[in-house]
Amino acid sequence: MRTRRLFPLLVALALAASACGSPGGGSAASSSGGGDRLTWAIETEPITFNPHLWGQNKARLLVFNQFDALVARNANGEFVPWLAKSWEVSEDGRVYTFELRDDVTFHDGEKFDANAVKANFDKLVEPGYNPAVASIQLARFKSAEVAGPYTIKITLKEPDGLFLDFLASPLGGQVSPKSLKEAKDLKAGGPDVVGTGPFILDRYVQGQEVHYRRNPDYNWAPQGAAHQGPAHLSEITYRFLPEAAVRVGALTSGQVDVIEGVPATEVRLIEKDPGLTLQTALNSGTAFSYYFNVSRPPFDDKRVREAFREAVDLDAVLRSVYQGTATRAWSIIGQASPFYDPSLERTYGGDIAKANRLLDEAGWTGRDAEGYRTKDGRRLTVRTVASAPFVRDRRDILAQAIQAQVKQNAGIDFQVKIVDQGTAQQAAEENEYEIFENSRGDSDAGAALNLILPKNAPINRTRFTDPEIDKWLAEASATSDQARRKELYTKVQRAVVSEHAIVFPIYVPADQIAARSGVHGLGFDPGSGTPKSAYEVRIGT
Amino acid sequence: MSATSAGGSAATGGTPVAAGRTPPARPAPPLPETSGRPSARTAGRGLLRAMARRIGSGIVVIWAAATTAYLALLAAPGDTVDILIGDGPDTPEIRAGIIREWGLDRPEIVQYLSYLGRLLQGDLGRSYQLQRGVGDILAEQIGPSARLAVAAAATAIVLAVLIALVTAGRGPWARRAVSGVELLAVSVPTFVIGIVLLSVFSFSLGWFPVSGDEGWKSLVLPALTLALPAAGVLGQVLREGLEKALEQPFATTARARGLTERALVARHALRHAMLPGATLVGWFVAQLLTQAIITEAVFGRPGVGRVVLQAVTGGDMPVVMAVVILSAVVFVTVSTVLDLLYRVIDPRLRSS
Repeated sequence: MRTRRLFPLLVALALAASACGSPGGGSAASSSGGGDRLTWAIETEPITFNPHLWGQNKARLLVFNQFDALVARNANGEFVPWLAKSWEVSEDGRVYTFELRDDVTFHDGEKFDANAVKANFDKLVEPGYNPAVASIQLARFKSAEVAGPYTIKITLKEPDGLFLDFLASPLGGQVSPKSLKEAKDLKAGGPDVVGTGPFILDRYVQGQEVHYRRNPDYNWAPQGAAHQGPAHLSEITYRFLPEAAVRVGALTSGQVDVIEGVPATEVRLIEKDPGLTLQTALNSGTAFSYYFNVSRPPFDDKRVREAFREAVDLDAVLRSVYQGTATRAWSIIGQASPFYDPSLERTYGGDIAKANRLLDEAGWTGRDAEGYRTKDGRRLTVRTVASAPFVRDRRDILAQAIQAQVKQNAGIDFQVKIVDQGTAQQAAEENEYEIFENSRGDSDAGAALNLILPKNAPINRTRFTDPEIDKWLAEASATSDQARRKELYTKVQRAVVSEHAIVFPIYVPADQIAARSGVHGLGFDPGSGTPKSAYEVRIGT
Repeated sequence: MSATSAGGSAATGGTPVAAGRTPPARPAPPLPETSGRPSARTAGRGLLRAMARRIGSGIVVIWAAATTAYLALLAAPGDTVDILIGDGPDTPEIRAGIIREWGLDRPEIVQYLSYLGRLLQGDLGRSYQLQRGVGDILAEQIGPSARLAVAAAATAIVLAVLIALVTAGRGPWARRAVSGVELLAVSVPTFVIGIVLLSVFSFSLGWFPVSGDEGWKSLVLPALTLALPAAGVLGQVLREGLEKALEQPFATTARARGLTERALVARHALRHAMLPGATLVGWFVAQLLTQAIITEAVFGRPGVGRVVLQAVTGGDMPVVMAVVILSAVVFVTVSTVLDLLYRVIDPRLRSS
């Protein structure tokens, strides 16, 4: 290990010595890791590099290396100019007019202009391209019109408070119209699906790594970026290392400069190492929660839903599973969101006596040979059916800990089923589950609530509906007045967490970045709380 | 026809182990002589016929594998649309879009026949998840996997032969020690072997890089990870075979003629021990295919294993089916080669 670290240093010294005559030779050897090249080990290999089809929160950090969007979010969550210099919204909230920058070029040499933006919108709503975006985020989209070489007019069918959020998301990344037409594997993305971003994707080895080089012409960073002009790094390689222990080992042995996704068990080790830094941020969107299926027994009874929450000493569970690195959730919306309602904190949970009283009241008074509660000869059994590919963050262990608690504290038989995607989908369709576990990383928590809570919402797995909640959500979606939206979302949170108890918020998902201490400019995207692109990253002292 | 036939006979005739060519100077024939040995020409024809039969049955096996995979897809819980939706939003419009895009509204038998038809044209279909041609994906990934498999196989065979040669016929103490190590190598999960090798040789000593497929250095640890358990099993089998062979009458004869024990083992007994060893190669190939999935993920290597892991967990059936077919092809090839190898190792089989 020592010799390994010593060798590049000797090479660097030798190079520095040989370059002594020329000025600037010294600065080239300022870092031991190879100048302005960086290697970053990441956990998740993206399914696609096409921003329009992006769907993995964990792959967000790659998108904005290669692509820019029309608008960005600043650290306060406000929208700021990016490829659009300015925009106007009509009185009725239906027409957005964007003035675009006129100095932007795609990596393939194509000019970025109003025609390019129109091509992107037209592609996004093309049948079969991305049905999810066409029917959700762009459900209210009507048309895009070129109003001038650098002026684009977007008309919506009805007002949409989430439209700018969509434009600022990876899905709003602007793709060269030429690649939209000619790319061989458009949906997979890669070197031939290009954007205007600070880095150019020039090599992708599936299963191994993706490599970017600096875009030397880049001069259109979003307002509020730490610097302007081209990126500091000349090259960046992201290696796909799905095993956490391997990522950490690669970092501590100096084989990579940065890693993301640090498991709870390794946090101490990294914090103790003076040569390394660690940063953590809570994700935006919804908290990881158990949603109760209210359409069938036993969770059709609110008392049983509350009893389940009271039967769990969640702080103890999180401590043992995540060794103190997890943040307990109190609401369906996570603490990182501006819409979070802190008044829900410590209003429920962990009262074992109350749990048992509620279950007695609900008629679950019998006990069977194994100590589980029964009613009319039926055991108090609830099931969660989770799809294995989406189980992460040790959520299987977490479920086992909760299982032990509800059994011991309240005699509830909680069955944890981790199955393949098809079986999970089938269970959902056939209503054969009592608990649905989910978290969403949407940068605007409202977008997630729209998917989960309204009647007939795409992932309304609680099967709970309340016209009043639907009304609040609809109003919040239609307005871009953030204060009003916060008011409405506060009502929604209180209704689903306190009044109806259809959700058991558990923890707020977080992201971590660990790096060797010479790496600067790493951080998290203010919109999502996930690691941001490499544009501001530099190596130095 | 005659040209191939001549070629076949030349190959057979040229094989140095053909019993008839055994130099008289050798003290003992490697295996008992058989009567009624066929001539080189008829042996060549027999070989061709055997190969034709092999290829025919191979095609049937591959078709059966493709069909079984297809039926498994139909029988699997949840339909293709569910799998394509994953944990994303699910609305009637999204479903309709997916059904249109992938032609899922046609009757199953039509979908199956068009699938077979495309297979015959060498079209393996398009990945649901990666949205690319399956053929393209596999073509990219098969190189790194093949390099890993060949390196692992070579390492395992060399290790196993060395272990067997060194330990066969030694005292009980040495045997027990080596058996213990072999047992350890066989029973520890591949994942753990990989992490341990990485911790020691990559993270601590810094001799080898953790990830990728760049040059021989990045091949050493993954190949060793795959080779160790296989070498454990192969070594045991070879040693047992060796020890049995050394008790045979021909060994006694050879010793009586003054052959050293070392020469006896290397020149004669090893050949006897190789038959059961060769039988294990089939198992070994299966082992490589399954363990490569874990090894490739641990080491951050590209390869078919990584692709299939992602495909299975994501329900990406076109990729899964293509890998099933690919595995069938590999097995058919391996068992054909093994068959030929048996004939080379054991001349008795050539008469049948």
